[in-house]
Amino acid sequence: MADPVLSVTGLTKRFGAIEACSDVSLDLHAGEIHALIGPNGAGKSTLIAQIAGGLRPDAGSIRFLGRDVTALDTVARARLGLGRSFQVSAVVPDYSVVENVMLALHGRDRTAFRPFGHAFGKRALTEEARAHAARTHLSDRLNVPARSLAHGERRRLELAMALALRPRAFLLDEPMAGLGQEGAAELTALLSDLRDEAPILLVEHDMDAVFALADRISVLVYGRILATGTPDEIRADPQVRAAYLGDEVPA
Amino acid sequence: MIPERVFNWAVWGGLLAFALLAEALGETYWLTLAARAAIFAIAGVGLNLALGNGGLISFGHAAFFGVGGYAVGILATHAQTYTPLFGLIEGTQSMPVTWSVAIVAGALAALVIGALSLRTSGAYFIMITLAFGQMFYYFAVTWSAYGGEDGMSIYVRGGFPGLNTLDPLHFFGLSFAVLTLVLLLVRMIDRSPFGLALNAVRQSPARVETVGISPRRLRLAAFVVSGAITALAGALFADLNRYVSPAMFSWTISGEIMIFVILGGVARLMGPVVGALVFVALEELLGGLSDYWHIWLGVLLLLIVLFARGGITGALTREARRG
Ligand SMILES: Nc1ncnc2c1ncn2[C@@H]1O[C@H](COP(=O)(O)OP(=O)(O)OP(=O)(O)O)[C@@H](O)[C@H]1O
Ligand SMILES: [Mg+2]
Repeated sequence: MADPVLSVTGLTKRFGAIEACSDVSLDLHAGEIHALIGPNGAGKSTLIAQIAGGLRPDAGSIRFLGRDVTALDTVARARLGLGRSFQVSAVVPDYSVVENVMLALHGRDRTAFRPFGHAFGKRALTEEARAHAARTHLSDRLNVPARSLAHGERRRLELAMALALRPRAFLLDEPMAGLGQEGAAELTALLSDLRDEAPILLVEHDMDAVFALADRISVLVYGRILATGTPDEIRADPQVRAAYLGDEVPA
Repeated sequence: MIPERVFNWAVWGGLLAFALLAEALGETYWLTLAARAAIFAIAGVGLNLALGNGGLISFGHAAFFGVGGYAVGILATHAQTYTPLFGLIEGTQSMPVTWSVAIVAGALAALVIGALSLRTSGAYFIMITLAFGQMFYYFAVTWSAYGGEDGMSIYVRGGFPGLNTLDPLHFFGLSFAVLTLVLLLVRMIDRSPFGLALNAVRQSPARVETVGISPRRLRLAAFVVSGAITALAGALFADLNRYVSPAMFSWTISGEIMIFVILGGVARLMGPVVGALVFVALEELLGGLSDYWHIWLGVLLLLIVLFARGGITGALTREARRG
């Protein structure tokens, strides 16, 4: 198999007495959706934050596109091509949908320090911002401030901003949360297409979506990886059933 | 409630009309007041870029105001005594030159203060910028080569090609033109990609970071431009008074510049201009009645903070502003 796009080795993070992340290792390969599941407080968001760069691990290393990025900050990792969405939406509240996406585009194009010229001055860039919004079904909400969006719309804006970065890998922390059934189904279709553009490390509680989408699944419990495998393997794993899935698994 | 654009033009035109009226009536003192207001407004517009757009509550902008003033004072002193600075550079009273020096010196001071202060945030940032301002103040007090506590007198106001700066109308016109240019600059920045990122970092730094833009560098860049603009105001203030002293570095100046911004409207283009106009008007009208006019300023400030979040501009205008 080719080198993984992203690979995490021996990652450990302690908060006081809690070990939120214990010796975690996992890979993300080109073209795959790798789902990360586990109960509340298992350490999924903590792991994502360490990969994205906001949180320094106490031990372990992170390789992305063949280079060790453990010592790089969030900005540098984003520039290398890590596209992240937050579990708790962190879009710019006073900005409209299209302004939020435009911010991401200027970040990607390295034009964010340009003090002249209108931020919306380039027709092609504005068109692109609209296209990303359209892909996440926000076309009729372009000029609505993010703080006035419904919860699910804000989740989709998170994703639109990640898309706008044209990242080399996606880190998505519960993109389906609060979307409702129809919304979740739409997003499932979108994510399924997306994996060909860049692989996705997907944290998700929606098991229908996970088992429909994932090429591989890792189960995290108390900061440890309990098992990694294909959906079928994970479904059949007695340890996983005992610790987490129980009767949640779709047949 | 009027649209903000109309309001902005009314404020700009109002100040100009006031000055022209003063000239027509031969009231030169009013012209000097108008120039003073315009200069304070420039200082406020500078601070607003850091405070309003960048969310950086700097309580040390007197440092830049003073640096601009001292740049003019020092160059003038050397020009007056025909002694070159460092034995090398001739002093000068040519405004294009002294302004440039003030702008560069202000930017450098802001670069150093910003690089150190921006490691902190919140109340610590307020305190550390205040501390830097005080350092500059005490340094100026002890700098005996340039008057120490007494400061420096500038015998003749600096000159500008083609103008008679001693004519109050000319000097007002110059200050007003600088104010206008600075407003255009800030408006350009506000609408640019940099402005989009800067107004975002105030609200959601984590988001800005994840799209590959460094919040620290954004804030530092804004702080440097902000310091440079406030230093330019200090340069004009020195020539207005033909006198420079450590008082320009005083923390009360930092407070007053902040009052212009808050009174007029944080993050509003014309906010600091409105604030400076109201400040100078109150100082003039109430200051004559009582030495304690600041009490009334305090009451007004309190009312604004409690009831009008967008300052006077916010209370009088509608128009959703971006970010
Ligand atoms: N900054 C922090 N300081 C202290 N403890 C923290 C911090 N962040 C997370 N934790 C703790 O680490 C553990 C893992 O939290 P994390 O948010 O990563 O879980 P999660 O798997 O994402 O849960 P959820 O499914 O609810 O989102 C929890 O016990 C949490 O309380
Ligand atoms: Mg989480």
